[in-house]
Amino acid sequence: MPLPRLPNMPGMPYWLTLPNFPNFPSPRTLLLDCCTILDHQVGGGVCGCCGALRPRYKRLVDNIFPEDPEDGLVKANMEKLTFYALSAPEKLDRIGAYLSERLSRDVTRHRYGYVCIAMEALDQLLMACHCQSINLFVESFLGMVRKLLEADKPNLQILGTNSFIKFANIEEDTASYHRSYDFFVSRFSEMCHSSYEDPDIRTKIRMAGIRGLQGVVRKTVNDELQANIWDPQHMDKIVPSLLFNLQDETVESQSPSPEAEKDKESPVELTERCFRELLGRAAYGNIKNAVKPVLMHLDNHSLWETKTFAVRCFKIIMYSIQSQHSHLVIQQLLGHLDANSKSSAKVRAGIVQVLSEAAVIEASGSVGPTVLEVFNTLLKQLRISVDYELTGAYDYGNIGTKIIKEHEERQLQESVIKTIGSFASTLPTYQRSEVMLFIMGKIPVPGIYPALGSANTGFEGSRMIQVMLLKSLLQVTVGFQTTNMLTALPSSFLDPLLSFTLMEDAEVRLLVLDILISLIDRHDNVLMFSSISIITDISVLKLKVDKCSRQDNLFMKKNAQRLFRHIYLVCNEENSTQRHFESLFSLLALLSIELATEEVVVDLIRLALALQDLAGEEALPVYNRCAIHALSAAYLNLICQLTTVPTFCQHVHEVIEARQKEIPYLLPEDVFVEKPRLPESLPKPEGDIVFLQSKIAETLGGSGYNTERLATPYIPQITDEDRLSKRKSIGDTISLQLEMDSRHSPEREQKTPTEQITFETLKQAIVDSVTMEEQERERRRLVVERFQTAPFEEIAAHCGARASLLQSKLNQIFEITIRPPPSPSGTLTAHGQSRSIPVYEMIFPDLCVY
Amino acid sequence: MSTEDYDYLFKIVLIGNAGVGKTCLVRRFTQGLFPPGQGATIGVDFMIKTVEIKGEKVKLQIWDTAGQERFRSITQSYYRSANALILTYDITCEDSFCCLPEWLREIEQYANNQVVTILVGNKIDLADKREVVRQRAEEFADTQSMLYLETSAKESDNVEKLFLDLACELIREAKQNTLDNSENSPMPGEGKSISYLSCCSLN
Repeated sequence: MPLPRLPNMPGMPYWLTLPNFPNFPSPRTLLLDCCTILDHQVGGGVCGCCGALRPRYKRLVDNIFPEDPEDGLVKANMEKLTFYALSAPEKLDRIGAYLSERLSRDVTRHRYGYVCIAMEALDQLLMACHCQSINLFVESFLGMVRKLLEADKPNLQILGTNSFIKFANIEEDTASYHRSYDFFVSRFSEMCHSSYEDPDIRTKIRMAGIRGLQGVVRKTVNDELQANIWDPQHMDKIVPSLLFNLQDETVESQSPSPEAEKDKESPVELTERCFRELLGRAAYGNIKNAVKPVLMHLDNHSLWETKTFAVRCFKIIMYSIQSQHSHLVIQQLLGHLDANSKSSAKVRAGIVQVLSEAAVIEASGSVGPTVLEVFNTLLKQLRISVDYELTGAYDYGNIGTKIIKEHEERQLQESVIKTIGSFASTLPTYQRSEVMLFIMGKIPVPGIYPALGSANTGFEGSRMIQVMLLKSLLQVTVGFQTTNMLTALPSSFLDPLLSFTLMEDAEVRLLVLDILISLIDRHDNVLMFSSISIITDISVLKLKVDKCSRQDNLFMKKNAQRLFRHIYLVCNEENSTQRHFESLFSLLALLSIELATEEVVVDLIRLALALQDLAGEEALPVYNRCAIHALSAAYLNLICQLTTVPTFCQHVHEVIEARQKEIPYLLPEDVFVEKPRLPESLPKPEGDIVFLQSKIAETLGGSGYNTERLATPYIPQITDEDRLSKRKSIGDTISLQLEMDSRHSPEREQKTPTEQITFETLKQAIVDSVTMEEQERERRRLVVERFQTAPFEEIAAHCGARASLLQSKLNQIFEITIRPPPSPSGTLTAHGQSRSIPVYEMIFPDLCVY
Repeated sequence: MSTEDYDYLFKIVLIGNAGVGKTCLVRRFTQGLFPPGQGATIGVDFMIKTVEIKGEKVKLQIWDTAGQERFRSITQSYYRSANALILTYDITCEDSFCCLPEWLREIEQYANNQVVTILVGNKIDLADKREVVRQRAEEFADTQSMLYLETSAKESDNVEKLFLDLACELIREAKQNTLDNSENSPMPGEGKSISYLSCCSLN
């Protein structure tokens, strides 16, 4: 039925526009007003039909319903209704209310055909009228959706959901004050868990539920007047419902035929999409509420143990949330790990695994302000796990201790160490060296850092913690490349690392060597030296060599002697294996490639010769002696080629050839095999099978090397602090035992009493001080010159730089107060006190960074 | 011209251990049937039923939660908005009774503090297997100021009464709250002596 027209509309007389009808409305409004009047005429019977007795909007609504519901919506009449609604928006709410009334009636009378028609009409009206005062209409619309959702017929639920989704996609421009979505959230969440008998319908209901939740989120997320969808009361329903469907993959994907599902989105895919959308919308303050239910769900459904789903969830989370928030997720995971300290190793391992994978994703975003907290938590977990493994049970006051499975704890420890590596790989160099220091500070080094292991685990505990922490440290150093070794590896780091107590145990010793290798190798050369051999031509290795920088030079000046001594003493340990000698070879090789100046080369050659002498002594087992000979030979072979002095090369070559003929078991090729054929006893080799110090000095002298120094045999120096730390370590009974044993060995006897002041060292000292004086004079001259000539800005900048220098000095001092260096003045108790305040460790480096 | 077809709307949540018969109680009440071999509820289930009490239409939204531990986090989220909680245990299962204090702690933690809680001992049709004597349950309910009722979803004993009593109680509370918004509303459980069944009728 078309809108009634006023008969004379087209030919409206011109006087209508005359000024004596100033308030006359426009023709169109007039028309509508007339219609309204007609609508409200009761009993007048303008048209003479019964329909006219009812208000016009009711008639229009009634007309859209066909005689037979099978016929569907009467399209023409629907257009009229839409047109009417558009023309008279103030009627929209009455139309809605009436439609809703009809719908409720139809639902209760089970006339589902009409229900569908009513919903279709509602949807169309909503689409047509959106943006224009649909506020009141929405109330009745939502009422109807609620009605459908209350029904127990799946079709009605789905119908209602679909309408709701259409509505959710409309952007309303007016705020709505009293609209509540509580019921929708509850109901849609419930639908996500549908257990309807028919699997197809069940899937449909669940998918409707998921879409419904998506709709609610879309509708509410940007509307400040709405109940906050991010409140725990909503999130605790939405998130587990989504996860429940996300995890259903294995169950669902097996049952329905894959062909039928091909073009349609599967519930799992749909869920993932919704979950991503939800997370993508989360603001800073909402992340916690969204992630907490995920953790709860994984707890309750025991999904940490199997890992795959938990990892998948957090991958989705990490990739979906805004990247600047990702550190919040990491923090929550760490918190959860802490909270689960007493859970089974499998649960903890699952969380750690998730952390490790999330850390890599986080790399693109910010690491967050709490770098050290991350490592602190992980190290704490490592320690807890070691404790569990050693005590064999979780004895944390729980009623009934659980028996732990040792191999699970082991796996967990490996996993934690791997995770530490993942986190470290995301850090910039300066933070990495900070983390290295932090970990180093946690390693129990008797004498320097008192053992922190719990009392009941004793020596074995602190040894295991040493191993674990050194493994972690090794992970952190992987790929660590610093241009400035001096600042990256301060003595507070090197001192404990090179201390005696970390030398006694074979495993610990090897780890220390590997850490040193990893730190020194900055050009990935280490792979070339992973096995010991006599390399006839080193050019085939294609080594990457940079010139030794000034900082490296200074680093070696300061630390070379300590490194050399460490190498020497490690060789002197009895319980070394092939791996140890391989690592020693790598370390020596890398030192000569990465950090070698002429002086260092000379010292390295002296060291190699000293090792040969060491191998000549009868105190060590035959295998060790052969191995040290082989190591020394392999290294001299390498360094002679690096120096490119032909006569040196020739000497080395001759000795090696002689050995090959007479005593091949002093060469790496024969010693480092699975079953080396070694002699019963090994007399001190003499003659042309040994490298001669005098001869080498002679050959190198011609090329400008310091022959006097070269001719002096190398003897490791033991400084005050070392002896001190040695004395302190006596407190540990077991190390005392080892100490005693080693005291009896003759080499130790030989070197302990000395403060080796040779002519060489004295001379060195004089030369050093002279050059120092010269440098100082030159520097003063430069300063004076600069202050005379340079512009003001430059001087100001210079002073600024000095201020920052002061800052860094201060920081160093702080550092010393927190981690006391092994100075003789520091007593054990003082160490204990400062170590017992871990808060410092956490706060200080943060301040240092920011 | 309201679209609301009821005078009162109440949300009732059923909680209790797995397998005590929560779903059967709801099915019996809403659909009048006892589903044999009812499987474990997944997450949460929803039913609606409108009853007429003293001429007033009362719509009951019934949320039937899963008893299984693994769904605990989602079920807890439904406590908060509940007007009434039906805490169910199985009279033939001592364990389900022993867990009640744990459930009460959950209620304390997650539910609204004005919630009406009713304790229900289900499966009285299995009288010969009874493990929890009535008196013990009554005393427990007394100490916690809860209403107590024993039901059988199978025999339909007391099921109607359970929901109708609850509806009456909820109406009374609602009226009390609208009459005087003051704090002197009666403690839940105070009206225990009044028999509601005589004044209630199903529509």
